[in-house]
Amino acid sequence: MEVKQFSSIFENGVTTYCPGCEHGLLLKFIGMALDELGITEKAIMVGSVGCSTLAYKFLNVDYVQAPHGRAPAVMSAIKLLEKDKVVFAIQGDGDALSIGIAELMHAANRGIPLTIFMYNNMVFGMTGGQMAPTTPEGMKTTTTPFGRDVKQMGPPIDACKVLSAFPQISYLKRVVITPKPIYTKDRVMYSSKEAMDSYKAVLNAFKTQLMGGFSFVEFIGTCNVNWKMTILDSKKYVHDVGVKVYPPGLCRDVYGVDKK
Amino acid sequence: MKRLIMGAKAIAEAAVRSGLEAYFGYPITPSSEIMENISVLYGEGKYPWFKVFLQSASEIESVNMLFGAGAAGYVSMTATSGPGLSLMAEGISYAYASEAPFLIIDVNRGGPGLGNVAPEQSDVSFVLNSLGHGGVKPIVLAPHTVQESMEHVHKGFELAFAYRTPVILLTDALIVHMYDTVEWDPPYVVKPKVDWAARGRNYGQRHIINSIYLDPPELKANKERLLQKQKEIEKIAESECFMCDEEMDVLYIAIGISARISKEAVLRLRNEGVKAGLFRPITLSPLDKDGLLKYSSRAKKIVSVEMNEGQLAQEITRIVRRDVEVLPYLGGYIPDVEEVAETWR
Repeated sequence: MEVKQFSSIFENGVTTYCPGCEHGLLLKFIGMALDELGITEKAIMVGSVGCSTLAYKFLNVDYVQAPHGRAPAVMSAIKLLEKDKVVFAIQGDGDALSIGIAELMHAANRGIPLTIFMYNNMVFGMTGGQMAPTTPEGMKTTTTPFGRDVKQMGPPIDACKVLSAFPQISYLKRVVITPKPIYTKDRVMYSSKEAMDSYKAVLNAFKTQLMGGFSFVEFIGTCNVNWKMTILDSKKYVHDVGVKVYPPGLCRDVYGVDKK
Repeated sequence: MKRLIMGAKAIAEAAVRSGLEAYFGYPITPSSEIMENISVLYGEGKYPWFKVFLQSASEIESVNMLFGAGAAGYVSMTATSGPGLSLMAEGISYAYASEAPFLIIDVNRGGPGLGNVAPEQSDVSFVLNSLGHGGVKPIVLAPHTVQESMEHVHKGFELAFAYRTPVILLTDALIVHMYDTVEWDPPYVVKPKVDWAARGRNYGQRHIINSIYLDPPELKANKERLLQKQKEIEKIAESECFMCDEEMDVLYIAIGISARISKEAVLRLRNEGVKAGLFRPITLSPLDKDGLLKYSSRAKKIVSVEMNEGQLAQEITRIVRRDVEVLPYLGGYIPDVEEVAETWR
């Protein structure tokens, strides 16, 4: 594969995310997509609160730090006033689906051309691994030490199902960003399919915004530190359990960007 | 030309004519008329600079939309009341820390809790003592007539951009709902250059509107910078002293509609030969401390006339360091001229 220059990624290129976390990968894909589409100079990133907050250090674009969960509201105002700019956010599952679900749903319902990337690691990562609305049944977290009880807490919230209800969303997709471990006789290798799919989703989400639509992509990823697993086990968990709770797929593509 | 106009309509007109570019709001009594009037002016489409009018889904959304508009360097405004302002406190704190300008009209109603929709001045302590977490001091303006409300909207935009800070226009249900004569045409606000605004890099430097400083030295430096700006803002402190003499029997202190009513009481006492005066902060934050100390030292007695339990008196006492009598009106009652005058008789 051809090696590209990422003008929208800082020169040192190294992120401070935990080893094994796919946040850095997502940022790299966003940077690559901004470059490929030539929209770095007119991109405005709105920060959320969580591990995604750190994104501003690694993407060389304009930046506004929103309060926890409120990124869609901040983005809406910026986009309405700066129509020819590209406005995007990276939100966590806690940020988007717990404290910020109202802002997300209303922004989605209005269908303002925005792009939201949601990194779903099924816990609150930054605060130390507490239960999130997306935590699968039975998963042990620091606030559900005996596993998530769905009788009390309800089942995990499926962002794509929730957002499917809004007719003005143009692009809605869930992908797995975690590379799938492939066990060979003497070692473990990782599949590159997930990375390719994720990059394509990022690219198509931006394309949708440029065409005038609201786009939302959910990335299923790991948080091995807070899941208290090894990096390999966490990647295995995503592909064994994660994809069953959150099956990847295209929920909506009004402009047909995925087919092209 | 003098004309008769409702407070809410006057505020809406002043805002749009002063260069309002974006309005985001959520209905709440007694402020909704401002939003309704603005929606008409937006719909008429006579003002090319007025780009966006949007009814948000909550005050939380409103304030974050204001934050977004401010971060992008646009003149934006909302109108709300106490319960809405509580919800906005988080966003105001972020905007204050990351220096995003906007104007919030807080039309005070009876509180706490759901309270009622009658006029009170019960948000005074809230806006003066950190409006949001972490130590937040927005500029607070307190008009006492409809005409002054218009002037303050204009001034609010100017100050918000001059100092890159949220500005609160503190008013009450009575001023916003009354019909009053005004004689003022707001000039269009010439917005200062917004080269700091997040509107895309455009082959230049990044613009970062941020309030996160993870390293203590960085956060300390940012706080010190904000405090330094506070000192600069002190210079805009403004007050009015009505019928103030070299020596006074009684000095009333009041803001908003209480001040307007107290002026009448001062005139009645003057007719009776009592040397009465009224000190009225025009900017509630920053408070004109020098003026307050000067005039209060000339008075035998200080009476704070308030439509709350004495929130302004608390501020005043802290500065003048002597007894301040409070004449409180609670639950939506408005001051009575005779009762105000009676505090001296």
